Amino acid sequence: MERTSFLERPFFQTGPRWWRQFWSRSNERVGYLFILPSFVHLLLFLVVPLVFSLYLSFTDWRGTNFYNAPFIGTANYEFMLGDRRWWNAMANSGYYTLLAVPLGMVISLMIALVMNMKLRGVNLFRTLFFMPVISSWVAVSVIWITLLDPQAGIVNYTLKSLGLPTVNWLGDPASAMPSLVLITIWKGAGFNMVIWLAGLQAIPQELYEAAAIDGAGSWQSFWRITLPLLKPTTFFLAITGVIGSFQVFSSVYVITGGGPRGATDVAVHRIYLRAFESFDMGYASALAWVLFAVIFAFTLLQVWYMRRREEASLF
Amino acid sequence: MKKFGKLLTVCVLLAMVVPSLAVLAQEGQITLRVVGLEVVPEERETPLAIAKQAARTRFMEAHPNIFIESLETPPEFDTQVLVDLAAGTAPDIWYQDASTLARLVDTGNILDASVCLDLVPELTLDRFSEGMLDIHLRDTGELWGLPDGGTPMVMYYNPEAVAKAGVEPPTSDWTWDDFLTFAQMTTLDSEGRNRLDPNFDEENVVQWGFRVRKWTFEWIYWVWQNGGDVISPDLTTADGYLNSPESVEAIKFLRDLVLEYGVAPEPSTLDQLVQQFGFLEAFLRGEVVMFPRGHWEMVGLTNQESYTPERVAVVGNPSKVNDVTVIYESGWVINAKVAEDPDKLLAACQFVEELTDYEYQSTKVVTGLEISANREAAAAAIEASAWPEIERVFVEEAENGRRNYGSIYANWPVVEGILDSMMENILAGADVEEEIAIAVEEIDRELQRSAGG
Repeated sequence: MERTSFLERPFFQTGPRWWRQFWSRSNERVGYLFILPSFVHLLLFLVVPLVFSLYLSFTDWRGTNFYNAPFIGTANYEFMLGDRRWWNAMANSGYYTLLAVPLGMVISLMIALVMNMKLRGVNLFRTLFFMPVISSWVAVSVIWITLLDPQAGIVNYTLKSLGLPTVNWLGDPASAMPSLVLITIWKGAGFNMVIWLAGLQAIPQELYEAAAIDGAGSWQSFWRITLPLLKPTTFFLAITGVIGSFQVFSSVYVITGGGPRGATDVAVHRIYLRAFESFDMGYASALAWVLFAVIFAFTLLQVWYMRRREEASLF
Repeated sequence: MKKFGKLLTVCVLLAMVVPSLAVLAQEGQITLRVVGLEVVPEERETPLAIAKQAARTRFMEAHPNIFIESLETPPEFDTQVLVDLAAGTAPDIWYQDASTLARLVDTGNILDASVCLDLVPELTLDRFSEGMLDIHLRDTGELWGLPDGGTPMVMYYNPEAVAKAGVEPPTSDWTWDDFLTFAQMTTLDSEGRNRLDPNFDEENVVQWGFRVRKWTFEWIYWVWQNGGDVISPDLTTADGYLNSPESVEAIKFLRDLVLEYGVAPEPSTLDQLVQQFGFLEAFLRGEVVMFPRGHWEMVGLTNQESYTPERVAVVGNPSKVNDVTVIYESGWVINAKVAEDPDKLLAACQFVEELTDYEYQSTKVVTGLEISANREAAAAAIEASAWPEIERVFVEEAENGRRNYGSIYANWPVVEGILDSMMENILAGADVEEEIAIAVEEIDRELQRSAGG
């Protein structure tokens, strides 16, 4: 008896035309079978929750069973337009992003430039710089709360020792957000450093050698060779940085709780409060979708800007 | 091989018969899944844990057909119970903080316990303190759970610090004016001069008379005392309530304690004051003379290094137009699904009766966390308590207790957040009327949204 493969059995050879055509292309069907687990995972854990949260944003779901939640159309979005706390949180997220992304990128680039040199023990330093990245946000937060303590913290102790005025770092609305940014940069610099390092190491050495022969100094080499060739890395870090900054939550939740006086109440923290302290899931979903739209718009803007720069550089 | 086959047959038969026998044996057995009888690991073997387990055992001995399956309280229980209710896996009875009771009532998942009054005649409402019962009982007759225990907010003071200032301790009949004078006289500089002394050194305050914070639960009853409120009784508006002259006056009075009279530290000063050892230690050391708090703080105070009984006393809040305080409470609620099985419903009602009766409630005094909602047990606790004078004040003040909005308005956490922010800004020096106007506008939007407007 002639043996047929599992997929050539009659079950798979019957059915509508598109199905039979599909199964007749053996390479394709094997490919689809390979991606099936990932596809199912994506569908169940990404697409379904996304669609579900979009649906929820049009409901007033505050109870236990979402199927009882009244459909209220765009009421949540209309309410959001006049929600002062939400817009304050969005403004804070924007402020945080403006501070954290450029500063974080510059500082991590500086570290990466040093770590890219052929120095003794450079691997140890790279590891040290990367260690905060793998530390938990809660542990990092507790350490920084202690360091920034207005009375017993080492930061103010140092300032006092130098005869400088002390600062209520996390208790003053003016300094709370910059303090959070400082902590975020400290924690994230190692990750950015690794990305910058990858970019730096992809730049051909010959270019620097040629520049040196032409009499270029290290500063000129940096501006004329390193930075332009790091453009894809810069673009990547800027986009992921903006996305990550708009989504900042853990540090705010653990360190300041959104205070003092709402100075660090960022968008995701506000969504969290609405969703899990007020159980106002419908409204929280609407806020989450608006945040998504804002991040998406910023990302598109960045992509558009980069393309324009690239096109401009052709002429 | 044959032997093995026989053995296998016997095993299969046993596997089929034994569970069937077990099911038969359990016929008529009712299991109630209860959350709230277990304690956290560090409290095992404490009198509270023993009292809870004794109540459970006593009940099961008296009702051999009822098994109480005691479940650990999961972390983030408020969220967990909503998820469990949605999934149909919620416990039959659980211990519920009244500050989020309204949310559960709105979901329609908890039983109107007034049915228990008919099913279990021993269960009568006159056993409960009126203030605590009011948290669960509605004007329309529904009884959303039964009160277990709670606390009114009272005024803690440090008698040693009061003596240091050369002032007589306050009495329960004191007024706002008396309170202000007392706070001024107990606020001392490093030379021992009080706030009423023209030479008082602002820069070197070593003892503050009072503590004011942004948290609504610590100041809402000051507004009530002055005849004001934060929202209307029908939960439709804050306009005419939070911005009423009475409410504004009360809020200004609290602000002035910090910014005008200087008897309470500014928030940033308070933060620095408590950084090193925590507030309770600062209080026991006499750095702050008075602060408003509930019964639970006794546990925290007695655990401090500087604690001595001479350093802690309590008194009722000063009054103005009304002698009122806010009361916080937790109680036992029954899952609405229990009503689907009449036998289970009866068992649940019997168990909550047991949990609120004198015998169990009187064993809880040792915890020091709260006063009993059972009037008789609360009165008996005064003598049994390690600090009878303090206990007496709590029991008396409970009679002036008023429920907070969390037990009747599901969206209260949002409104409370707005009020907290308002007070935070006011204590930082923002304009009172302006902040109140902003808060009224925000709260009204929330109230209208809740009402579907």
